[in-house]
Amino acid sequence: MLKKTISYIALIVLGVCFLLPFLIMILGSFKDVQYAQLDPLFWIPDHPTMKNYLYIMRDGIFIRWIFNSVIITVIPVASQMIFCAVLGYIFAKKQFPGREIIFWVFMAVIMIPQQLLIIPKFIMFSDFGWINTYWALIIPELWGIMGVFLVRQFLQNIPNDLEEAAYIDGANDIQIFFKVILPLSIPVVATVGTFSFISNWNDLFQPLIYLTQEKMFPVTLGLASMLGKEGNFGIEMAGSTVSFIPTFLIFLFFQRYFTEGIQMSGLK
Amino acid sequence: MKREWNRNAIVYIFLIPVLVHFLIFQIYPFVLSFYLTFMDWKVIGDPEFVGLKHWKYFLTDRLAWKAIWNTVKFSAYYIVPTMGLGLILALIINSGVKTAGLFKGIFFLPVVTSFVIIAGIWGWLFRGTEAGMINYLLSFIGIEPQLFLSNSSQALAVLAGLSIFKVAGSTMIYYFAGLQSIDRQLYEAARIDGASSFKIFWTITFPLLRPIHFFVAITTTIGSFQIFDSAYLLTGGGPNYATTTIVYYLYEQGFTSLNLSYAAVLSYVLFFIILVISLIQRKYLGQESNNY
Repeated sequence: MLKKTISYIALIVLGVCFLLPFLIMILGSFKDVQYAQLDPLFWIPDHPTMKNYLYIMRDGIFIRWIFNSVIITVIPVASQMIFCAVLGYIFAKKQFPGREIIFWVFMAVIMIPQQLLIIPKFIMFSDFGWINTYWALIIPELWGIMGVFLVRQFLQNIPNDLEEAAYIDGANDIQIFFKVILPLSIPVVATVGTFSFISNWNDLFQPLIYLTQEKMFPVTLGLASMLGKEGNFGIEMAGSTVSFIPTFLIFLFFQRYFTEGIQMSGLK
Repeated sequence: MKREWNRNAIVYIFLIPVLVHFLIFQIYPFVLSFYLTFMDWKVIGDPEFVGLKHWKYFLTDRLAWKAIWNTVKFSAYYIVPTMGLGLILALIINSGVKTAGLFKGIFFLPVVTSFVIIAGIWGWLFRGTEAGMINYLLSFIGIEPQLFLSNSSQALAVLAGLSIFKVAGSTMIYYFAGLQSIDRQLYEAARIDGASSFKIFWTITFPLLRPIHFFVAITTTIGSFQIFDSAYLLTGGGPNYATTTIVYYLYEQGFTSLNLSYAAVLSYVLFFIILVISLIQRKYLGQESNNY
């Protein structure tokens, strides 16, 4: 009984600590408050105003940032789900020359930090004319090793019987993938999609390197350029809140896939 | 023959483009970057071969070593608290409380939130004036306002705090999975023997989580060596280079000073550090997986 009480107290205290920053962000977004006049309790609601939201919506550039984020997120997410599903299937179920070695190279390359690849990629993309375009952020993200790994892990645990039965019924490879394998893999493909969404939507480092024009910024980089500069804390918080909404919705509906994916990626 | 094609069509149609993509966007840049470290890469004009010049410079570059030291210090602030908090969160969630699912979501929320959003709020919470929330709270227990992000001995710890807040939720997920896999009969047996909850935790739960401790320690260490976003957003590497981490220094050298070759050297240094950590992980996890 005592243990239960302690658990509940800890749960509530920690829950408040974890939620408070988000609460401050949302409440603060309805306040008209200059940086210079900030006080510690500015976010406690009185005189709420929609001014900040109207400001960022009228500004135009903010809407553009959101639009850019959508472009550089939605396309890689869709593509990652397709390619990782097919490749995971290939590496789990197919026999072809070089299968082991290719997969081994993939797993080795995972150890290369993206910060290492970004310098040569900056030089390559300058040559390609990809600086300040969506291409630099979309094309390299069309599939991912981690996603392939997750789907492969998942499909290795599924018996081959279904597939074999379909072959005997005369189905070809592509039909089997779409009619048998894909429906089975929906949970893991959803995991790949949610991971990809979060990493692309939240990415700051790559946009920072490949983009210099404000109109090409995704919302992360746009918000970063606003930090401090706006002078109005409420506007910053309104911007943060708006950019948080898509993440939050994805999280709300796909939380299960996040947590399952995290477990799968770590503890095979 | 036709049957063979039927059974492998998907391999050739999808694998070939992916391999081409892999060579262009992963293998080629990896090699190019290594080549770059031996060249003087100018924004305009042809690159010039300079041999080991940049590598030698790295050995004597005090700022680079300071950046490595800062990153090690950051890890020291960050790794154990992240693991500890993650474990505590997992224990609470796993203790049979109602609404566990809801709170699991709440603790996980910062993991999916961008650094930019959290940094915006964090910067204000730890503002170095009386207007900052933390200074306001400290005033109740009679502590003078702290400078936090503008104090060179506090800034790195404040950034570590941000990362702990952001990452503890994913550590919790690993620990939660670990806790669920522990055989309940062990607890019951211990309880029949009259062991206290405290004793059960230290003699059963904590040791049985060993593979998780190890795995989480490795992943948080690798993560801590790649820290960049919060330094870029909140301190710009300052004050007085106190928050210039390896990746921040790499960014500054490569993309502010446009010294891409030297940045490539730094990126290889980062790579070697991460490689060593990952190799330790693989060696150790190979042995450990039998116990799990």
